[in-house]
Amino acid sequence: MLTDFNFRVIWEYMPLFLTGVRATAFIAAVSITLALITGIIACACRISGIKILKYPAIAYIELIRSTPLLVQIYFLYFGLPTLGVRVPELQTGILALMLNSGAYIAEIIRAGINSVDEGHIEAGISSGLNYVQRMRFIILPQALGVTIPPLLGQNIVLVKDSALLSLISVVELTRSGQTMTSERFMPAEAFLTVAFFYMCIYFCLKTFADWSQRKLIFREVY
Amino acid sequence: MIEFKNVNKWFGKLHVLNDINLTIPKGEVLVICGPSGSGKSTLIRCINRLEPIQKGKIIVNDVPVHDKATNLTKLRADIGFVFQQFHLYPHMTVLENVMLAPVNVKKIAKSKAEKIAMKKLEQVGLTEKSGVHPAQLSGGQQQRVAIARGLAMSPKIMLFDEPTSALDPEMIGEVLDVMVNLVSEGMTMCVVTHEMGFAKKVANRVLFMDEGAIVETGTPDKFFDNPKTDRAANFISMILTH
Repeated sequence: MLTDFNFRVIWEYMPLFLTGVRATAFIAAVSITLALITGIIACACRISGIKILKYPAIAYIELIRSTPLLVQIYFLYFGLPTLGVRVPELQTGILALMLNSGAYIAEIIRAGINSVDEGHIEAGISSGLNYVQRMRFIILPQALGVTIPPLLGQNIVLVKDSALLSLISVVELTRSGQTMTSERFMPAEAFLTVAFFYMCIYFCLKTFADWSQRKLIFREVY
Repeated sequence: MIEFKNVNKWFGKLHVLNDINLTIPKGEVLVICGPSGSGKSTLIRCINRLEPIQKGKIIVNDVPVHDKATNLTKLRADIGFVFQQFHLYPHMTVLENVMLAPVNVKKIAKSKAEKIAMKKLEQVGLTEKSGVHPAQLSGGQQQRVAIARGLAMSPKIMLFDEPTSALDPEMIGEVLDVMVNLVSEGMTMCVVTHEMGFAKKVANRVLFMDEGAIVETGTPDKFFDNPKTDRAANFISMILTH
């Protein structure tokens, strides 16, 4: 079977794959950064208790979580132009990933904040610390620890979800596999290579997350 | 110093505080006891507005606690609160736990706050533990740190919500010793506890609650030896037999 496998063609198409890897890494990096910002803002609005911030945030989060990413991508790509908003496909794709991941990240952060012992918060209240001080000194440092693993998971999901952007003709890793397949009809070689590069990105992210967990978060000392 | 005027509180339909009238003068040590669910913790949690009330008034140092205009930060800075479960901040060292409020609420300079904190830790006998995290301490030590944390704000009142109930028996003494020392310094204290020895030794008054109401008050000797009501007598016999 391996003798049927055409490594020469993979090598020949390597420049295309590397362009795809670069594009996917770029899309992921930009989307993750924007999604983190979106998620933090959405979460802050949701837990703020201020109605005009809270309800739009809930609507946004639930709308995203209740619909498939592909539908969201298609809506932005095909729907927005008919409403008179023209955005190039790369930007459309990044926007879709940002909005999608942002909603999940908002919920991850909220879960982290909710996981902090109510008693610590009451201790802060009793000693006269205000809301912002309690967030900064008591809640967020503890929430960070429980938030990092699920955040990493969400970022990995985002990287893999970015494959869907190939459907709106964004040039990225999956798209380079499709291109090779349509030109040479070697889907096994093409998509195995694509999968290999996704794995590389995954392990890079995982290494970073392991490192950050060791360096950045507080662990209880027993 | 603390005054309850016709205070009523409900949790949904449950009437947790039923028309409470109570005056606690400066320097008094008040012990509150009663069966579980009688409203004793709720009563002291209302004093620094950890709990809202639905009717009546609580006045602390001439300030109406549940008024909208009340400066809660200032009010709470004057009231130390010690919890049953200690609630030390697990991500901070002992010293950081004690310094947090003085630095951020009272805006005391760090170097000065550290001196205050070390003095309070000395008072509870834990200076050598200032650099460790709470998880490395025993329950009794954690509760003493929690008391030091309360004292670091130089409060006028200290509230204790069952401070020894979560402790192993051999650690109760060390916490009570710290509290007895506080009494000798003239601190105004409200203590929810079933420690009769402590009550008899230092309390000026014992207050017995049941079903959200104050059933009986009296000096510790009178209350424990000669309770006026059957309910109190019943309760005392129950905590004595075990």
